[in-house]
Amino acid sequence: MKTIVTTLTAALAGLLLAGCGESPNSTNAPEASPSPAPETAAGTAPAATPAAEAASPGTTDESKRLSIFCWSEYIPQSVIDKFAAETGINVSVENYASNEEMLAKLLAGGGNYDIIQPSEYVVGALIKEGLLEPIDLAQIPNIKNVDPKFLNMSFDPGNRFSIPFMAGTVGIVVNTDVVKDEIKGFRDVFQEKYKGQIVVLDDAREIVTWAFFAEGLPINDMSDENLEKVRPLLSQWLPLIKVFDSDSPKTALLNGDVSIGVVWGGEGAILLNEDPKFKWIVPAEGTHLFVDSLAVPKGAKHPNNAMAFMNFILRPDISKEISDAFPYTSVNAAAKQLMSPEQLGNRASFPTDEEMALMQTFEDIGEQGSKVDELVTSLKVQ
Amino acid sequence: MSAVASSLFPFRLKEVRRWLQGPRLQIGIFGIWTAAVFAFLYIPIALLVVFSFNSSRLNIRWEGFSLRWYEALLSNKVLLTAFQNSLIVATATTVLATVLGTIGAWMLYRYRFPFQRAIGLLIFVPMVMPEVLMGVSLLVLFVQLLNIPLGYTTLIIAHTTFCFPFVLVGIQARLHGLDPALEEAAMDLGATPVVAFWKVIVPYLMPAIIAGALMSFTLSLDEYIVSVFLTGANSQTLPLRVYGMAKVGLNPQLNALSSIFILATVLAVVASTVFGRRKNP
Amino acid sequence: MAGLAAAAGAPGGDLSHRRKPALGAWLVLAPLLAWLILFVVIPTIMLVVVSFATRDSLGRVVYDFSFANYERAFQWTWLRVFLQSIWYAFLTTVICVVVGYPVAYFIGRAPPRWRMILLMLVMIPFWTSFLIRTYAWLAILSRDGLLNGLLVASGIFAEPVQFLYTPFAIVLGLVYNFLPFMILPIYTSVEKLDGAMVEAAYDLGAGPVRAFSQVIIPLTRPGIVAGALLVFVPAIAMFAITTLMGGGSNPTIGEVIYRQFTSGRNQPFGAALGSLLLLVFVIALWLTRRQREDPG
Repeated sequence: MKTIVTTLTAALAGLLLAGCGESPNSTNAPEASPSPAPETAAGTAPAATPAAEAASPGTTDESKRLSIFCWSEYIPQSVIDKFAAETGINVSVENYASNEEMLAKLLAGGGNYDIIQPSEYVVGALIKEGLLEPIDLAQIPNIKNVDPKFLNMSFDPGNRFSIPFMAGTVGIVVNTDVVKDEIKGFRDVFQEKYKGQIVVLDDAREIVTWAFFAEGLPINDMSDENLEKVRPLLSQWLPLIKVFDSDSPKTALLNGDVSIGVVWGGEGAILLNEDPKFKWIVPAEGTHLFVDSLAVPKGAKHPNNAMAFMNFILRPDISKEISDAFPYTSVNAAAKQLMSPEQLGNRASFPTDEEMALMQTFEDIGEQGSKVDELVTSLKVQ
Repeated sequence: MSAVASSLFPFRLKEVRRWLQGPRLQIGIFGIWTAAVFAFLYIPIALLVVFSFNSSRLNIRWEGFSLRWYEALLSNKVLLTAFQNSLIVATATTVLATVLGTIGAWMLYRYRFPFQRAIGLLIFVPMVMPEVLMGVSLLVLFVQLLNIPLGYTTLIIAHTTFCFPFVLVGIQARLHGLDPALEEAAMDLGATPVVAFWKVIVPYLMPAIIAGALMSFTLSLDEYIVSVFLTGANSQTLPLRVYGMAKVGLNPQLNALSSIFILATVLAVVASTVFGRRKNP
Repeated sequence: MAGLAAAAGAPGGDLSHRRKPALGAWLVLAPLLAWLILFVVIPTIMLVVVSFATRDSLGRVVYDFSFANYERAFQWTWLRVFLQSIWYAFLTTVICVVVGYPVAYFIGRAPPRWRMILLMLVMIPFWTSFLIRTYAWLAILSRDGLLNGLLVASGIFAEPVQFLYTPFAIVLGLVYNFLPFMILPIYTSVEKLDGAMVEAAYDLGAGPVRAFSQVIIPLTRPGIVAGALLVFVPAIAMFAITTLMGGGSNPTIGEVIYRQFTSGRNQPFGAALGSLLLLVFVIALWLTRRQREDPG
């Protein structure tokens, strides 16, 4: 017994030491090898001392730190490393997997973040509640690279609080080896003959929005009566669906378990690149265009570093790097000029102008979110 | 009659019947069953090890042999650091949970405390409470009420809170039917309660302690939701880095990481048994 | 047979050895008490308080006292989810006992130096990341996956079978992930079985089945009960597995509560659901404890 404990401890110790020589007391924040100045003791020892985290109150010059709170895997590590190397700023990154997770943590006061990455309807809500710091566009000259159709959008007129990071859409993917009919929109997807062959996003608001599109109702007016109006349609649709998956709906399609999907544009792009049997269709009734943005939460300690980062992201080469990793819809016109014809030709990533005209962004629906969720849950439970 | 029978069979009939009815056959059957269960446990593991050598990024089809993920892993500081953090937190949690659980179980068993039943119920609360509820309430507790910054400390406290009940319950099961004469004998021979506990009870409880430690370690290593709410920038654990990865396809570097870790652990365990044998011939 | 079990101190044993705690004992218990109060009692109180609150449009908690959440929680939609979760947890527990007991017995009766390896080998698969492990199962069970490939190639089935995104897959996933938590506690009970007693049970002439069911299983009952608790209780609130393997069309209470903290933006309602879950559980546990401690 003793020998087992000893050996295991030795093995564990070995693994710990092998962690690229970084002891737990060094900064775990991702940074490039030319480490910035010694003040990078970013709250290190296991009994995390509060003082080290933020610049001392009342100081006007910012320490060279930046704290980012973003979606997992949405900002490639290489981009962060490049930023750190060029500016000497020590960047720490925390991840979340949904907007509301981010909101919950932010509102409970956990963590001091300088940059958050909200989707468009969250930006609107945060602005309304006064929870974002205004940004100084003079410090972000690269904003000129952004395609004008993604600027000055309804959730943040004048871009006073946010810059667009990446856009994307929701559309239909069809496995043409199995499905021979033409699918043009939501109503074509949700037919009795496709029962058990469909995967959709596990997002109540998205699903209800599609029903709203199909019924021609305004998608941001999720009042109780409108919800009741789409209930019959939804109760018809939901039993036909085999899989609900927002994280990786492409898995079910690639596995052959389903043959039609209503999924994110990025997922569609990956599928199109993977196998030509997959076809991408923008629903004729209209669909959701999401715009993920970068914003600065109120009380951020390093707003100037945050704006420097935003400016950095908007550089064409950096923006292209992000798009290479995540084939969503780039908002950066200058970056698009650097992309390959295959990338630009991927219709899931880059919809045509006619298709874009069919798309709408979400606005915050506040408390109705709960009712939407309940509607879908009650119809799911069969 | 039996003389004829016994001359025909090399084994005595009685022995054969005994073997058929005896515990040994049962053990044999159980052994086969165990092997089947182990196969069940390890088939997905074998698959994910195989996929770590898959040249394609999507873990769905085999496309060719490649070591690229292992190479990429070695330079992926983010992932490795996250894994390291997970190990640190899991180890600290295991130690704390085991101590808390063992002592708690023993105290509750040995003494008649008032509100005994209440404690017994409270212990199960972290197990029942959905992780998101515990995560958010602890977050508010730490940040707004206690003013403790988020980081290793908060993470370890949170993990320990939902791990120690597992240890405690396991040890209580082992204590059931413990012969009180054991401890009394030790104390009659002059030992204090503490010494009696350490030298007599703990060895008796050791299998349960180890089982509890193993369970704690496992639970902590893969904990996601509680960690989301309670971690700081520098204590990001592996699940946190990984769980959003599904969007772009789970990175096979993860498979490589898991494969290496499993291999290391299995080797360590096997090695220690070999050592053990040599020491005690 | 039964007499043997009783003599070995089977459950319902003698509690008279327990003493009244002296100051020293209180001091030793203090850390556990403090931990419980700080990190279990207080968060639970916070939870219950929030369950009576409401929230604003952004999702922040607004402390207006109201029963609305509880009224809502008793609607059939949510009750059905509760019941379904409990059912899955129950099924998982039963299957784990049946599948896991022989394994625990085998390991517990194995030669001492093998026990440690076997025990660790049971646990080691779960030191991989849960997501990749589950994705491996997806690759095995999917229509184009390994299992179907085998079944079709060997001619057992003409067409691939739908394994994934069914209740079968959910239970499989749950059993897979919880099996070690059944095996380990049962092992600790098996391990302390006196070898002589086991042999005696068989020697006394009853068949192997009776020896097993009437002596060994009762003797290991504490382990079985512990294992059942350690599987059933957490399994109710489990959701990632059920969503990934089940396709999300059978939400569990864990998932529903989680969603209140995400897209539902209704933390107080989530808190109410959670409080109800706790309440149900506490009552059930209190009743069973009561039954055991008052032999009547």
